[in-house]
Amino acid sequence: MVVLSVNNLSKNYKSVKALQNVSFSVPQKTVFGILGPNGSGKTTLLGIVMDVLKASGGTYAWMGEEGNAAQRKKIGTLLETPNFYHYLSGEKNLKIAARIKGRGEEDIDKVLQIVNLHQRKDSKFSTYSLGMKQRLAIGAALLGNPDILVFDEPTNGLDPAGIAEIRELIKELNRNGKTIIMASHILDEVEKVCTHVAIIQKGVLKTVGSVKDVMANTGSDTATTVLIELSADNDERLIKILQQMPGVLDINLVDNFLQVTCSENITAAQVNKFCFDNGVVLSRLNEKRKSLETRFLEITGTKSEK
Amino acid sequence: MTELLKIEWLKLKNYTAFKVLAIFFCLGVIATNYVVYIINREVVQQVPVAGMVSFSPYSFNMTWHTTSYASGCILLLPAMLLAILITNEYGFKTHRQNIIDGLTRQQFIGVKMMLALIFALVATVLVFLTALVFGLFSGTSFSFYGIANVGYFFLKAITYNLFAVLVAVLVKRTGFAIGVLFIYMGGENFISQLLWGLSIKLKSLGEADLGNMGDYLPLNAADGLLEFPENTVKSLSKTIMPHDYTWLVFALAIGYLVLFYFWATRKFVKSDL
Repeated sequence: MVVLSVNNLSKNYKSVKALQNVSFSVPQKTVFGILGPNGSGKTTLLGIVMDVLKASGGTYAWMGEEGNAAQRKKIGTLLETPNFYHYLSGEKNLKIAARIKGRGEEDIDKVLQIVNLHQRKDSKFSTYSLGMKQRLAIGAALLGNPDILVFDEPTNGLDPAGIAEIRELIKELNRNGKTIIMASHILDEVEKVCTHVAIIQKGVLKTVGSVKDVMANTGSDTATTVLIELSADNDERLIKILQQMPGVLDINLVDNFLQVTCSENITAAQVNKFCFDNGVVLSRLNEKRKSLETRFLEITGTKSEK
Repeated sequence: MTELLKIEWLKLKNYTAFKVLAIFFCLGVIATNYVVYIINREVVQQVPVAGMVSFSPYSFNMTWHTTSYASGCILLLPAMLLAILITNEYGFKTHRQNIIDGLTRQQFIGVKMMLALIFALVATVLVFLTALVFGLFSGTSFSFYGIANVGYFFLKAITYNLFAVLVAVLVKRTGFAIGVLFIYMGGENFISQLLWGLSIKLKSLGEADLGNMGDYLPLNAADGLLEFPENTVKSLSKTIMPHDYTWLVFALAIGYLVLFYFWATRKFVKSDL
């Protein structure tokens, strides 16, 4: 079952092409990450499927149906910023959201507990901190226990504990069978939380698939290498020794440590032993797992896109 | 629609600016008419010429007209309130959130139009009651003669309100919207006066009697139907005034209303939010 399918979606703002023929499908019960640098078109994409922006071309469908208001009532959405009436309390704001969604008020207490705002429910929204506003928005999305949730940068403005809580919440929602569509520019977040990922850059879809597939499907030059970070008291001597080690392909001095690219069969332990045997004691040794970050940079290039 | 109005009420009932402006408007209607009443009694009636025939603006027949005319000048308050309410939604981005949460765009703008209508109705009821009370205190016998002016007041109120809705949807920012409302109203009145002068001149030169062209502008059309109440001076000047094409002004007023309604709706339904 496909929850959301977008077909050749395009959006132009005058001369700027914010989205260009983007197509993908979100399978049911996944955590689907939409990953891209700032200004890559993530929010534009979500804005279109929630009918606050008009597409310049292409179509989208929720659960196989053309988008409509009745469907939106059953989707919990946080788009871009927490949008609430500043002069109303958190609880009163949720009452309005619940009424629009056609839900009763019985959920309000529950979601306020989940997002840890119960004690401040009677305070005006304008007095909330950035993190509290964000949590209220997540709470609003949870009203009515929807099967589909759309979160645009859900951990924006949260402190580290709050970030961890929200990530855990997203995983738990997914375990309970919810489908979550999540836009983020934070690679680590997508890697930790998502099962599927679509990477977009400058409005163009670069790749899409399960996180496992996207990471496995690497470029040819980096396919069979291991990246190890290490340093010692005397980096120059360390470089000389490493150059003699079989399997070492490339050595780069990065900041205050060395980044060593080795062939696939080399492990960190082997490197450690080799250095020790040659009289160098390592002060740092870190085998870098191939991360989504590396993959992301391979796909999008290393310079920040304007 | 009832459910949508209940949701609007949740937004309104704790909003201080709403309460303040609503109270100002209610007091304003009563105060304005009381001031007119006092001025007439203490000043106008003391000048022998004006009082050739004893003239009492709040006696029956006259009271409907006087109250409607005098209260018309504070219709800017509900219009301003509507502009604030709508631009607030843009400011808070709740116009997006309401759509995201499951309103249709048509519902969102439709219920604002409904608020515009309700504000106009409430203002009209208030004017009706004020006219009635002043009339009853005048000691004259009750009559509905001239009640059409209360209808014109309603038309003026709904025109101002829908114009405010349109301005809010077009400019989106609160301060800017209120600025535009004031400047437009001032500007239109100024042009209207020029056109009025031109109309009189055309007639006096015997070229054409096109009526008071100043009344053909969007807000002045509704204004023009609600004329300054009859008095001696006005009757005397009738001969030099252009002909009164009431039907044309009425048709234009309705036409402008329809234009405001469809323009604002189309703008909200079709554009990016």
